[in-house]
Amino acid sequence: MRPPVILLLLGFLLPASQTFAFKANDFKTCAQSGFCRRGRALSARALAAGSSWRFPYSIDPSSILLAPDQASFTASVKSALYPEVNFGLDVRLHDDGVVRVRMDETGGLRKRYDEAANWALVAPPSISRDIVWKVGKGTVHAVYGEKKNIEVVVEFDPLRVTLLRDGVEQVVLNDRGLLHMEHFRTKDDTKPVTIQDGEGEAQTTLQLNNRAWFEGEEQDAWWEETWSSWTDSKPKGPESLSLDVTFPNHRHVYGIPQHATNLSLPTTTGPDAGYTDPYRLYNSDVFEYLVSSPVSLYGSVPLMHAHNAKSTVAIFNAVGSDTWIDVGRTESGTETHWISESGILDVFLLPGPTPTDVFAQYTRLTGTAPLPAHWALGYHQCRWNYVSSDDVRSVQRRLDDENMPVDAFWLDIEYSEGHKYFIWDKKNFPDPVEMIKDVEALERRMVIIVDPHLKRDSSYPVYKAASDLESLVKPKSGSGEYEGWCWPGSSSWVDFFNPKSWDMWVSFFKTKSVDGRWSWTESTENVGIWNDMNEPSVFNGPEISMPRDNVHYGGWEHRDVHNINGMLFTNQTYNALMHRSDPPKRPFVLTRSFYAGSQRFGAMWTGDNVGTWEHMAIGIKMVLANGLGGFGFGGSDVGGFFGNPDPEMLVRWYAVGAFSPFFRAHAHIDSKRREPYLLDEPYKSMLRDVLRLRYAMLPVWYTAFREMSATGIPILRPQYVVFPEDSEGFAIDDQFYVGSSGLLVKPVTTRGATSASVYLSDPQIYYDYFTFHTYPAPAKKVARGRTVTVPAALHQIPLLIRGGSIVPTRERPRRSSALMRNDPFTLRVALSSDGSAAGEIYLDDGEGYGYTNGEFVWRQFGAETKKGGWGKGEELKIWSKDWARQGGSNDVVVYNPANAFANSVSGVRMERVIVVGVGSRPTVVSVNGGSTVEWEWQGGIGYGATTESKAGVLVIRDPAVGIASDWQIAVVF
Amino acid sequence: MYSWLFLAILPLPALSVLDKTHGVPPSLVAKYAPANSASGAGQTWTCLDGSKQISWNAVNDDYCDCPDGTDEPGTSACPNGVFFCKNAGHIGSTIPSSRVNDGLCEPECCDGSDEAPGACPDTCKAVGEEYRKKAEAERKLRKTGSKIRASYIAFAHKEKKRLEGALVDLEQEIATREKEVERLTDIAKRTESLSAKELERKKQSPLYQSLLTHHTALKSLQHDYKKHTEREKVLGEILDALRTGYNPNYQDMAVLEAVRGWETLAGLPHINNVRKGEDEDSAAAETPQSPQEDKKEDEEDGLWSAERTERELNKLLNVDHVTLLLEHEKVVGEPSSHSILLDVTAYLPDSFIPPYLAFRENLLSWLELLGIKAGSSDTSSEANRARQALSDAEHSLKLTRDELQTAHEDLSDIFNAEGFGAEGEWKKLDGLCLEKDMGEYTYEVCLFDEARQKPNKGGSSFSLGKFTSWNKLAEPGTPEYYTRQRYTQGAKCWNGPQRSLELILTCGTENVLLTVSEPEKCEYQITGTTPALCLPVEEERRDEL
Repeated sequence: MRPPVILLLLGFLLPASQTFAFKANDFKTCAQSGFCRRGRALSARALAAGSSWRFPYSIDPSSILLAPDQASFTASVKSALYPEVNFGLDVRLHDDGVVRVRMDETGGLRKRYDEAANWALVAPPSISRDIVWKVGKGTVHAVYGEKKNIEVVVEFDPLRVTLLRDGVEQVVLNDRGLLHMEHFRTKDDTKPVTIQDGEGEAQTTLQLNNRAWFEGEEQDAWWEETWSSWTDSKPKGPESLSLDVTFPNHRHVYGIPQHATNLSLPTTTGPDAGYTDPYRLYNSDVFEYLVSSPVSLYGSVPLMHAHNAKSTVAIFNAVGSDTWIDVGRTESGTETHWISESGILDVFLLPGPTPTDVFAQYTRLTGTAPLPAHWALGYHQCRWNYVSSDDVRSVQRRLDDENMPVDAFWLDIEYSEGHKYFIWDKKNFPDPVEMIKDVEALERRMVIIVDPHLKRDSSYPVYKAASDLESLVKPKSGSGEYEGWCWPGSSSWVDFFNPKSWDMWVSFFKTKSVDGRWSWTESTENVGIWNDMNEPSVFNGPEISMPRDNVHYGGWEHRDVHNINGMLFTNQTYNALMHRSDPPKRPFVLTRSFYAGSQRFGAMWTGDNVGTWEHMAIGIKMVLANGLGGFGFGGSDVGGFFGNPDPEMLVRWYAVGAFSPFFRAHAHIDSKRREPYLLDEPYKSMLRDVLRLRYAMLPVWYTAFREMSATGIPILRPQYVVFPEDSEGFAIDDQFYVGSSGLLVKPVTTRGATSASVYLSDPQIYYDYFTFHTYPAPAKKVARGRTVTVPAALHQIPLLIRGGSIVPTRERPRRSSALMRNDPFTLRVALSSDGSAAGEIYLDDGEGYGYTNGEFVWRQFGAETKKGGWGKGEELKIWSKDWARQGGSNDVVVYNPANAFANSVSGVRMERVIVVGVGSRPTVVSVNGGSTVEWEWQGGIGYGATTESKAGVLVIRDPAVGIASDWQIAVVF
Repeated sequence: MYSWLFLAILPLPALSVLDKTHGVPPSLVAKYAPANSASGAGQTWTCLDGSKQISWNAVNDDYCDCPDGTDEPGTSACPNGVFFCKNAGHIGSTIPSSRVNDGLCEPECCDGSDEAPGACPDTCKAVGEEYRKKAEAERKLRKTGSKIRASYIAFAHKEKKRLEGALVDLEQEIATREKEVERLTDIAKRTESLSAKELERKKQSPLYQSLLTHHTALKSLQHDYKKHTEREKVLGEILDALRTGYNPNYQDMAVLEAVRGWETLAGLPHINNVRKGEDEDSAAAETPQSPQEDKKEDEEDGLWSAERTERELNKLLNVDHVTLLLEHEKVVGEPSSHSILLDVTAYLPDSFIPPYLAFRENLLSWLELLGIKAGSSDTSSEANRARQALSDAEHSLKLTRDELQTAHEDLSDIFNAEGFGAEGEWKKLDGLCLEKDMGEYTYEVCLFDEARQKPNKGGSSFSLGKFTSWNKLAEPGTPEYYTRQRYTQGAKCWNGPQRSLELILTCGTENVLLTVSEPEKCEYQITGTTPALCLPVEEERRDEL
């Protein structure tokens, strides 16, 4: 029941003390969610029963059927609770060693939702051709791996699946006997068994429930379920899925984004639990979310990594419904419990054994992020809202006046008339195409928002088309159009599960109308698209989303597909942009909601954060966690969406943004304007420096994006990913490495800081990126890491370059990234403790798909110190060689060093080589064994240094060697 | 604006043959020469800030050597450099070095010298012509505008004279009125002393005492009633604003509930239906139902309507109780002894007797008319009249003094740099109201007074603020100072700040508003033109020199 209106009115008149706060009442706790309550109660009963706990599920040995490839088998599963119900098990071994375990109810009253993996997976996985299941007496098992040290064992009774490496248990399914698939039943079936006892009038009714030991006494929320003012009709009754996953030997688990919490997930069960509720995956539009909480946020990736010093494994649970995950710690490992509202069991065991292997295994399943448009790595200027086309022009002009680089200007919802997306509000945007072209004249781009809710207005062609095609989400009746409340008021939602909507969506984005159909002629082929509110956010719906009994294409309920819904929206937008021009340009789509596989369709951001130091700090952890979940192209709103950050906070936040894969400043409509040119000095110049640093480092970022697109390794790499054996680093989540560049960043997220502590895992020399101050390698005997203190006044960013790295930059400030395309490069060669270094650069046209035909430049840089090469002293050689041909990656299929792109940059040179860690003055520097070039040596200590001091730096002046050609520079001492 | 370039592939090393003075402004060309006469590699050059000596060959070689960026005037090598383009046929211009060789032809460099030779066309002839045309048009506009401005200045001088004259008049008037007050004070004092004693006795009547209590009670109730009515009105306005301005901001269903609750209470149709109907102009469907209910209430128990209550209540409260007391006596008791009032003349100065008698006749006939006269007057009402006359005179005096004060202030503002400008050019525009129809709203700015946002489809208008200051970021008296006006302390936004407005003005031949925007919530920006900003053209030229 809703409180009477009059009470609300009174409440409205009272001072609003909670104006800025997370509204916990808008979202369910586990205790308010029927199936989660049942799941947790089940686990509590198991815990109480201890060793006497019985496991109801078992495999019928006689049913085992090995597929002809012998890498897959199926079997019947029985539940002791319901002997009459049939379940089918399907276990497959992929050729990369991933194990897929599927279980579904067979011959039931209805069909469980089994399409989650279809949306998540990039392609059907290839089944192994050489791994063979062996059927034994009580088990089916397989041994594989190069060293034949991986073993998968499927036990019959009870049903249990174990993955072992070198005889050590890595991950176990149903180790605790919490596996439970609630089968479909009718309401009549579920009347308690009644036994009448006694005689005559003294009859007593005894209710006997012989499954209560497992399922509990009550039929808790099996059917209709009411929460707050909403009632979920639950026409299918109970259908939840409970599964326990144990990592017996891994005490750190990561992943299951998106949550505002530590990277190494705190526990949710046990006496020292970090949180009382389980982690939840149920895509939600959470207003001003808490900075440490297990509540669900905008996106869900049901992937969990487990890590120890010897191995990393992961499980991917392909489920699209509301899912709660308890995490508990055992003496030597971690136990988790996954409780989902609906869907089949479809779990992938990723055997690792390194973090890198897990990234590869996961992205082989769900796909890697495509190489983004180069401009998308620049600085994005956004606000809710730039109010007119002249406002946009003015923001552009003022950034240019201040020589602050920027690549994209964004328009939030107010560009549209009555929040009818695509339809310009001509009062304020009378000349949209001219405005977009004014931005594009500086080779910048505009990104414009298009949300999934459509204003129910038959004069709105987008709504009309979707309505005519009957491709809108339906209410629980299964017919008509679901009507909810969002920005435009009364709205309906496109059902992107309906294939009919796909072609429609493509046609909308055409800049020229095709076959007289409505299309967005008032746009250009370069416009990027921002997909927001795709959880979906419904203002008057339960948990600010759709009712779970809404109906999607194929008759599936919203509850079955909720977490997948947001991904399909960006999938189709991405597809539409891909089809917008011929030849296609790389689409840019930003999404708020996401699911496993969303990385294939663009970038994400961490939603509506708040301008506080805590939110700045948690944003970093969230971006790191999303990277582990395959979605590395992310960032959080610089400055915080809500509130008015002071200049100090803003300067620090820009530094955070400059080291995020996606770098966008955004602000709420109620906040003061805070574009970087509005700040007073010295802050304004600090922001300009940060922006320029980002642009100088674009070659590093782009190269890291290439690597992520090929390998799935995230761009921002937390400590444990780079040093998986250093247990001291497992919980570190406030510093990270940028790709393979050797750059280590620790953004400052506290007020008044003047220094920062940076943890270094490896016995390697590090240099301050800006001052070349040395952090020498410890004596070799010391195996443990070390903490160093790095200056971090407001104008400084704790940024170290690891000895042994070569970092390419472009240091000429330009207005946009595209205008740097002919600029020369600077190389920073940071010599390692043994005097060597390596690095790489990847370049292409940044916009089209020529790179898939080998049109790119991919170089490896190297440096090596030799003793006595020239008869006396040392010789240092620095070189560039083609890397596409020489083993950079197996992914390069077509490549010709003289390709069109390489030719276009053949005039682009290396203008400066800075060698860091040169301890003595050279005598001569020559290029390609011939001409000598000018150089300057700034005295300091060399790479073998054992003290903190300033490193000696050799600046080689304009060696005039090409970025796309082979060369060698010799430094003779 | 910018023309696109196809990439020109440059041989390595790039730009090796660039002229050493490429990109150097004429004033510095002399400094771009080698320091010594030695030829070839031996020649040196010193950075313009004197910080470093470099090889002459290193000037304009596309590598930054000087910390001040002066060794690369013609390339983009130095991040802090500037580039000069000659723009022969037009006016020379500088751009940051970061815009040199970036593939775009800068509009500032119509000669195309900012990019590789041949990459950008030389458009200086056309650009120069266009520029001169524009400058001429601008000059003409200024000239016309400045004539109008001169008329404003003349107005200010006239106004000054008028005010000065008014000051003299007002001061005289004050002197007269002061005397009048003095005289009436005297009369009142005397009248009161005569009647006071008798009156005090009569006031002891329980009926009179009760009347006083009733009066106080009624007054208190009226006070409370007004307070509540006012409060309800404000709440109604807040809720109306919420209802019409409601955006499901914060996704807050509580707000929606509040809107719906208000609509039910106030008998309004649901705003969403009204909005839906907007296109079909059916917003008229919005007919409040509440008045009918009010009528029904009126008829109950013969009670007064709200309107009548207000009217009658004021009348009741304004009744002079002393008069009433005396009239009461006339009705219930026998005629009292000979009234002092009728003998008042005995105490009046001779010169005042005739007007007094006339006044008394009037008063008595008025009383007769109302049927409450008793053929004779009495002391207390006479005292009342005297008091009233005094109070009226005092009030008039105060008004005149205020008028004088205002006239003084106006006079000092006219030629005040922080007021109507040093030349008084803004005085003419004081209180001038300008309007701009933006579709949904009409924006009205009454200069130096108040700005308002008025909905075109009905509903209450909101103050965007009252004039508070000129451009605070500029020195008073400078032209820049008068280009911006701040209006602040407007109506408060729901869940936001008080509305405010920045009015940005430029020279134009008319006083007109051009654009309206809201760059931040509830902070408006309106642009417009006014002749008051059109400085005489000659003066402008002097400034430029």
